[in-house]
Amino acid sequence: MNNRIRELRAEHGWSQADLAERLDVSRQSVNAIETGRYDPSLPLAFAISRLFGLPVEAIFTPDQETA
Amino acid sequence: MAASKHEKRVGKAYLREMAGAFLVYSVLLMASIRFGRPLEDGVLRLMVLLSPMIGFCLALWAIARHLGRVDEYLRMFLLESFALAAGLTAGLTFSYGFLETAGYPRISMFSVWMVLCGATMLVCLVRSVHAKREAR
Repeated sequence: MNNRIRELRAEHGWSQADLAERLDVSRQSVNAIETGRYDPSLPLAFAISRLFGLPVEAIFTPDQETA
Repeated sequence: MAASKHEKRVGKAYLREMAGAFLVYSVLLMASIRFGRPLEDGVLRLMVLLSPMIGFCLALWAIARHLGRVDEYLRMFLLESFALAAGLTAGLTFSYGFLETAGYPRISMFSVWMVLCGATMLVCLVRSVHAKREAR
């Protein structure tokens, strides 16, 4: 799964720690999601979506569209 | 880099519960050595000598509660690390069993727990370093 979190975070001028604080998760989690090492659960993906005010599909995109 | 509020809250609760478990374990261990060993063989002696396991079980409970409190990524990371460490421990202790057959000295079963702790720390350390390198 690809995502635009790093880009959106930069637009808001937030550090990884700032974003972690707003999502109530660890900084490691933000880092793992940004670098594609971890795909968040649906509740966390929706929390990210609410925080940035964008639909989930505008933030997360699959690596390859499945049939 | 500073820990987030989530990390601080979870970390403090874990340390508090683990310290309590360790305190109970230490007190019961000293009591079992002092009072359990001189007792005559029987159920009472077994119960007293096994009593430090109450503290051990509290430590397991603290770990289980910690896993319930950490966020989803850390929970996955820790559970994967525990699984890898358990596999590593099984491999090491099983191998040593064969070495005992070859004449190596017999080692107490207590050592399995220490190997598991060491393996868990090693796996967590190696995976953390690997994750940091990937994040660059």
